[in-house]
Amino acid sequence: MDLLMMAQIAAGMIFIFMFALIVSEKVERHIVTLLSGCAMFLIVFGLCMHSTSAMVKTLNLGNILHMSFWYQPYSVLEESSGINWSTIIFIAGMMIMVEGMARVGFFRWLCMTIAKFVRYQVVPIFITFMIMSAVLAMFIDSITVILFLAAVTIELAQLLRFHPVPMILSEIFCANLGGSATMCGDPPNIIIGTSLGYSFADFITNTGVIAGISLVAVVIYFYVAYRKELQPVGRTTDVPTVYPNPMDAITDKRGFVLSCAVFGITVLMLITHAQTGMTVALIGVLSAVATLLAAGRHAPMLLKKIDYKTLLFFIGLFMVVGGLEQTGILETIAFYIGEISGGNQMLMVAIIIWISAVASAFVDNIPFAATMIPVIKTLALTTNAELSVLAWALSMGTDVGGSATPIGASANVVGTSVAAREGHPISWAQYCRRSVPATILVLIISTIFIWVRYL
Amino acid sequence: MESKQLIIAVSREFGSGGHCIAEELARRFGLPMYDRNILEHVADEKKVDSRNLEKYDELPKNRLFSRTVRGFSNSPQEQIANMQFNFLRKKAGEGESFVIVGRCAESILKGYPGLVTIFVLGDMEAKIERIAHINKVSKSDAEQMIDRYDKKRKAYHNHYCQMKWGDSRNYDLCINSNKLGIERTTDTLEQYIRERIK
Repeated sequence: MDLLMMAQIAAGMIFIFMFALIVSEKVERHIVTLLSGCAMFLIVFGLCMHSTSAMVKTLNLGNILHMSFWYQPYSVLEESSGINWSTIIFIAGMMIMVEGMARVGFFRWLCMTIAKFVRYQVVPIFITFMIMSAVLAMFIDSITVILFLAAVTIELAQLLRFHPVPMILSEIFCANLGGSATMCGDPPNIIIGTSLGYSFADFITNTGVIAGISLVAVVIYFYVAYRKELQPVGRTTDVPTVYPNPMDAITDKRGFVLSCAVFGITVLMLITHAQTGMTVALIGVLSAVATLLAAGRHAPMLLKKIDYKTLLFFIGLFMVVGGLEQTGILETIAFYIGEISGGNQMLMVAIIIWISAVASAFVDNIPFAATMIPVIKTLALTTNAELSVLAWALSMGTDVGGSATPIGASANVVGTSVAAREGHPISWAQYCRRSVPATILVLIISTIFIWVRYL
Repeated sequence: MESKQLIIAVSREFGSGGHCIAEELARRFGLPMYDRNILEHVADEKKVDSRNLEKYDELPKNRLFSRTVRGFSNSPQEQIANMQFNFLRKKAGEGESFVIVGRCAESILKGYPGLVTIFVLGDMEAKIERIAHINKVSKSDAEQMIDRYDKKRKAYHNHYCQMKWGDSRNYDLCINSNKLGIERTTDTLEQYIRERIK
């Protein structure tokens, strides 16, 4: 057995072991990925490959020192591999910005303002909250969106006497869908965008259009599916006379204005980053600095609230995927997909969308997307497939597939958990009954859209 | 004992009569008893139907179908268990005296000076007789029920606690209810508890 084959077997085993440990939740997932990353470096790069260049390439630290990491006035297809520092820096920046917005009461204020705007009527709240969930998730991580939206939904459900679970499940689905629309909406998209050099505009004009069409379809679907369950329960005479004032949600008026400004400018920077040349890493840093300056004495508290474990999880994960990439094991998978599809692009797209979706419904879609990027890169190189088309297929598959089950995406776990803590436990059956058909609906729309538009 | 608080935590094997013993102890000491009725209190507080919560009572988390993100778990079983643990901690923290059946109370409330922990077990034959009689089922069905319930209780307990379910080191007293019968077992336990609170 040659050393490369040994390296491939060792890398594959480390990857499978890492995935199994993540699923088992016996050890915190950031520790799992970091230890697996170290094992990859020691066993695969060190013992099997004797390659320090593979280690350096995977650590990818030199990348940060390049000007193009922060400012790139022209669009290029990056040949990035190893630790994706752009993703990590951008996510850290967004975490700080979102914590800043949460501190001043932005999310609660927004929810209550919309509820007031539709005069606290259940069906209009149901529809506007789904749309709001999708729109917010385009720019903010879906966990935060659902955390606030689910809490306000339960509060409104108690006030207006409706069953909150259908609304929460619809919001979760729309948050995942909204996340698929933009480069910064969902971690798989950030990884796809930064690894393959796609801009915000590339995503919004491709996955964004699919997500827009799908949103219309799922709003109608959820309304039809849940309309009976949304009827107010109890006596109709129990209507409240006093409604919460949205302004009461704001904890710091000056901070609120500043946070809104930072958010607005960040969205603007993201939309125009292909034109301005600012990379997402730079946007993340600028948003974080602006948020910290605006927060003043509250800045240390915001820094404390950063989810460092998630950032470490990403670093470890990229190390492991870097190991798989360097050993060429992912190329083998790519050749296999290419062979099954016989070079037929329609089949290739369908395989990527549906396999990504099924996998993402049960396992964390972030490691899956990170693993699949080198696979689609190789597929594009070895077959006549267009890389961008495969990227949109991967994005829709991983982002939407996660909506099917309560454990498919982080927003699902957080949303169902918030509901359960307030006395509304959601079983797998209850969750999947409506979300699986909605997922299939969006996957069909995505597959047909990609076939018709690009092939 | 200096503390006036008395918390009697009764863990039990299915069919051992542990629940009846706990009820009788609660009556003799004039204490409220908590078991699955905790969920009624929780449901009242949250203004929800307790039946939606009861189906997840004292059940282990399904590892394969569960995921935790930033401290949030999708497992209803885990959420319901935590609600009950928080309820018990709150009651104990407020200084209330009570009898609690199951719910990992011996571990959750460890450290309270007024805590008395008991594990009631029984001989298999006697447990089968008892369950067959109470539930009006055949002996083989009763045996299956016992196996099923005890397996669930064990998995539930061992998921949330460091010490194992039924491990004598985890309890102040382990007692086989068949040796003296339910009533005399209760008498013995009462005597022990009275000695403890002297």
